[in-house]
Amino acid sequence: MSRPSDLVQGTLDMLLLKFLALEPMNGFAVSQRLKQVSGDVLQVSDGSLYPALHKLEQEGWITAEWKTSEYGRRAKYYSLTRLGRRQLEKEADNWGRLSSAISRVIKLKEA
Amino acid sequence: MRPEHWLYTIPLRLRSLFRWAQADQEVDDELRDHLERKTEEYVAQGMTQEEAHRRARLDLGGVEQTKEKCRDARRVNWIQDFIQDLRFGLRMLRKSPGSFVVAFVILALAIGANTAIFSLLDGVVLRDLPVPHPDQLVRFGAHVPGDDYAALSLPMFQELSRGQRVFSGTFAWWGDGVFNAEMDGRLAQADVWCADNNFYPELGAVPEIGRLFNADEENLSAAAPAQVAVLSYGFWERHYGGSRDVIGKTLKIEGIPFTIVGVTRKGFTGISADFELEVTLPLPATQLLEDEPDLQKYLRRPSARWLQAAGRLKPGATLEQARAQLDALWPAIRQEMAPTDNAIAELGRFRELQLRVESGAKGESLLRGRFAKPLYIVLAISGLVLLLACVNLASLMLARAASRNHEFGVRVALGASRARLARQMMTESVALSVAGSVAGCLLAYWASRGLAGLIAGEIFSIPAAPNLSPDWRIAGFTASATILTGVLFGLAPAWRATREDGNAALQQSGRTLGHGTGALGKGLIVTQLALSVVSLACGGLFIRSLEKLRTVDPGFHTRNLLAVGLFAKPNAYKNLSLVDYYHTVTERVSHLPGVLSAGMVRTGIGNILENIERVRISGSDTEGLEADFEMGTPEFFETAGITLLRGRNFSWQDDEHAPRVAIVSQNLAEKLFPGGKALGQRLDVMNARNWRNLQIIGVVTNASLYDIRKQKPPTVYLPSTQYVDFMESPSMLVRTELPPAAIAGALREAVESLGREYISSIQTVRQSIDRSILQERITAMLSAFFGALALLLAAMGLYGLMACAMTQRTREIGIRMALGAERGRVLKMILRETLVLVGAGVGIGLPCALVATRLLGHMLYGLSPNDAVTLACVVGALVAVGVLAGYLPARRAMKVDPMVALRYE
Repeated sequence: MSRPSDLVQGTLDMLLLKFLALEPMNGFAVSQRLKQVSGDVLQVSDGSLYPALHKLEQEGWITAEWKTSEYGRRAKYYSLTRLGRRQLEKEADNWGRLSSAISRVIKLKEA
Repeated sequence: MRPEHWLYTIPLRLRSLFRWAQADQEVDDELRDHLERKTEEYVAQGMTQEEAHRRARLDLGGVEQTKEKCRDARRVNWIQDFIQDLRFGLRMLRKSPGSFVVAFVILALAIGANTAIFSLLDGVVLRDLPVPHPDQLVRFGAHVPGDDYAALSLPMFQELSRGQRVFSGTFAWWGDGVFNAEMDGRLAQADVWCADNNFYPELGAVPEIGRLFNADEENLSAAAPAQVAVLSYGFWERHYGGSRDVIGKTLKIEGIPFTIVGVTRKGFTGISADFELEVTLPLPATQLLEDEPDLQKYLRRPSARWLQAAGRLKPGATLEQARAQLDALWPAIRQEMAPTDNAIAELGRFRELQLRVESGAKGESLLRGRFAKPLYIVLAISGLVLLLACVNLASLMLARAASRNHEFGVRVALGASRARLARQMMTESVALSVAGSVAGCLLAYWASRGLAGLIAGEIFSIPAAPNLSPDWRIAGFTASATILTGVLFGLAPAWRATREDGNAALQQSGRTLGHGTGALGKGLIVTQLALSVVSLACGGLFIRSLEKLRTVDPGFHTRNLLAVGLFAKPNAYKNLSLVDYYHTVTERVSHLPGVLSAGMVRTGIGNILENIERVRISGSDTEGLEADFEMGTPEFFETAGITLLRGRNFSWQDDEHAPRVAIVSQNLAEKLFPGGKALGQRLDVMNARNWRNLQIIGVVTNASLYDIRKQKPPTVYLPSTQYVDFMESPSMLVRTELPPAAIAGALREAVESLGREYISSIQTVRQSIDRSILQERITAMLSAFFGALALLLAAMGLYGLMACAMTQRTREIGIRMALGAERGRVLKMILRETLVLVGAGVGIGLPCALVATRLLGHMLYGLSPNDAVTLACVVGALVAVGVLAGYLPARRAMKVDPMVALRYE
C-alpha cells in the first residue's frame, strides 16, 4: 500500500485517529480537516486517505456507519472505537518520545 | 489485547470475505460521495462543472486504483485469489482428466498407506489409555532385576499406599486369567480380572447399565468373598446380546457362581491397551479362583507377589518424585515382609527385590513390545514411498506445465506476476493433494483396521484390537503429510512457472519442441529410481530374512504335527489321578486311525511363551546357566521328533514316588559335563520349587523349542509325571498324516468322552511358529508392498518421461530413419538413454540403500544388511523396468512412417 512519502511511517494513522477522536466524520471531512490543520505541510492525497481509513477499520480501531448528513445526503461516517482510543494513546505517546528525543538531538550546540 | 482485537476484526474480515460484493459497493458509494463533494467545492471556487469533476478525480489519483487499494486494505484478497485459482484448476482438470486421475490415485495410495501405518503406530505405540488424565497413572511393583515379572503382595501394596504422599489414590488388581465361564448353561472361555475398591473410580469407569462394585463387596477383611461380577461391554454384547435383563443373572466361573451387577461402558479397557476386561470380580474373589481355603490367610500372605498396582499422581507431582518416595519406603517393607525361612527367601531371591516404578499412561500391551520397532521401520519405508510419489507427481506436473507454456505466456503477457503463476501451480497441487488425502483416509481406515484385525486375531484368543479411532495425532500427521506433499510436488512446476518467458512462449505454436523433459525432469526421474532402490532393498531384505526364518530347522517336526490345547471342565481334576488320566488320553489318541503318536507337553512348542530356568551341577555353588525348560510325558520326544542320543527316555513309571530324573539337550550336556559324561550326573533346576539332585537319564538332540530365532539354546526336560500340579491343562502333541480338519472330530470325541477336558484349540505346529514370527511376516508383507509400489511408481515415471520424449522426438526419429538408420540402432539409442538414467538412479540409490539397511541389521535373521543376492535382485528389477520403459515407447515411435513424421511439422 502506498503512503505519502514525506510522512513518517505510521504518522498518517495517528493523525486520522486523532481527527476521529475529536468527532466522528466522513472521509471528505477528514480530507478537508487534514488540509486546514496542517496547511500544505502534510500533503495527503485523497487516493491515500481512503485506503488508510479502510485499513484502520480492518484493524478494529475505527468503525464506520452510513448516516444521513446535515444536507440530507448519505455518507459513511467514521468514529473511534475503544481499541482505537488505546491505539491513539500509544501512538501519541511514542510520537511524543520520538519527537522530543529528535529535537534534543537537533538542539545540540556545535562546538 | 490480541484476543480482544480479534473479537473486533474477525467479523470484519468475514464480512469482507463473504459479502465482498456489498463491501465493494460501499467503497463505490463512498468514493462517489467524495467526488461529488469535492466537485461542489471546486465549483464553489469558481470552476466549471467539468473542470471541477476532472480535478476531483485527479486528486483521488485514479478511482479504480484507489478502489483496488481499499480492497487490499481489507486483506482478504488472497482468499479470493485462492478460490479463483481453485476454480481455474478445476477447469484444467476437466480439460485433461487422465493425468489428474493418475495423480489422484497415486496420492490416495501414498497418503492412505502412510496414514494407515501411522494409525497403527499411534494405536499400538503412541496412544495413551482412554481414561481421564492417563499421564497421571504410575505403575509400581517389585521385581528381581532382570526379570520382567513385577508384582506385590497385598500387605506390600497396603504398606506402600499408606506411606506414600505423591498419589491421590492407589489401586491394585489381579489378572488376567482365562477361565471357564458358564452363562445360561453355555460354556465359553472368559478373560477374568479381579479389581480392588479403587480400581474403577481411579480409572474413571462408569457403568453402562447396573452398577460397579461397592465397598462392602470389596471389603478386604471379610470372612468370605462377595460373589458378584461386572462384565465388559463387548462380553455382554457377545454372550448376552446386549440384553438389559443380564443384571442379577448368574455367571459361573470355574463352576463358582457370581451374580452379574453391572456392565462397563463400551471402550473401557481398564489398564489394558489391547482388549476389554471381559469379566471383573472383586479382589477377594481370587481366593475362590485359586481354590484357597481361608480368605484372610490368603490375602495376608506377606511375601506372595500376585498383585499388580498403580497410583494416580497428585496434580503437580512427577514420576521421579513417586519413584524416589516409593524407593525410600521399599527397603523397610521388604525387610518386614521377608519370609522367615531363609532358604525360601533365597530361592525367591527375595532380598534382591527392587521396586519398578514406571508410567502407566499407555497401559499394558502385548502388541507394543513386538510391533513398535517393525511399525517404525515400515513407517519410514512408507514415508520414503510418499517422497517418491511426490517426486513422481512433480515430474507429471512438470510435463503438464510444459504443455501449459502457452497459457503461462499469455498470463505473463497480460501482466500476471510470476509469484501469482507459482501460486496458481501450488494451489492446484495442494488441492489435488487434499483430494487424494480424503480418498487416502478412507483407504487408511479400511487398511489399518484390516491389519490390526489380522495382528490381533493371530495373537489373542479373545477379541482384541488396538484403538485406531482418529485422534489429533493422526489428524495432524495426515494433514501435514498432505500439505507437505502438495507443496513438494508443486514446487518444481511452480519454479518452472516463475521462469517462464512470456515472449518466447507466445511465439511458439504451442505444440512443438516442448522442453518439459530437460535436466529438471531427468533429475526427478533419477531421484525416483534412487528412492525405489532404497525401498526395494529394504523390502527385499525383509522377505529374504522371513524366508530364512521360515525354512530354519528348529530341531523338531514342523509338518504333520498338531498342537492340541486341552482345557479342563469346571472341577474336572477333583479326585483324579492325573498320571493315570493322561496315560489313558495318550493311549486313546495314539490309537486313533491316522495318528502316529501322541504326547503331552506343558507349554507347547513353536510358541511365543517361553519357559526359561537356571540350571547348575548339583553341589556346585554357581549362578547357574540359563536353559529352556519343558515338561512332557514319555511320548513327547518321539512325537515331537526330538531324538534320544544316549540313555533312556522318560517312562510312565517315573512318577512322584520314583527318583527324580531329567533329560538334557546335547549342548547342555556338553556345557555342564564336557566329554560326554552327562549320563548319571545330577543337576539342579534353580526355581522357586527347589528341584535338586535330578539325575540325568538321557541326552537328546538340540532344538529351539520356543523362539525359533534363537539358535537352539541349551534345554532341560523333566517328566511331567513327577510334577502332578504342572500336568493340568496341557498341550497335546499329535503326530498325524491327516490334515487337522480330518482328525479334529475324532480327537474331540476321544478327549471329551472322558468327561474331564475339552479341546480349546487345534493348530499345526507350523501355524504356531508362523504366529510366533508374526512381526517378521507383517514387516515383510508391508515392506514388500511398499517396495512394489515404489518400483511401480518409478517405472511409471520413467515410462512417462520416455513416452513424452518419444512423442517430441517423433520427427527426429523420422529423419533418422528416412536417412537410413536401422530400427535396431534407433532402438539401441533409446534404450541406452533409458539405461543411463537407470544407471544413475542405481548409482545414487545403492549407496543410500547400504546406509539405510545398516539400520535394519538387528531385525534381520541369518542375513547381512548388504546381502548380495537381495541387492542383485533389486538392480535386476530396475534394469528390467528400464528396458521395458524404454522399449515400449521406442517401438511405438519406430512404427511411425518417416514420411508422416516429417510431414507432421
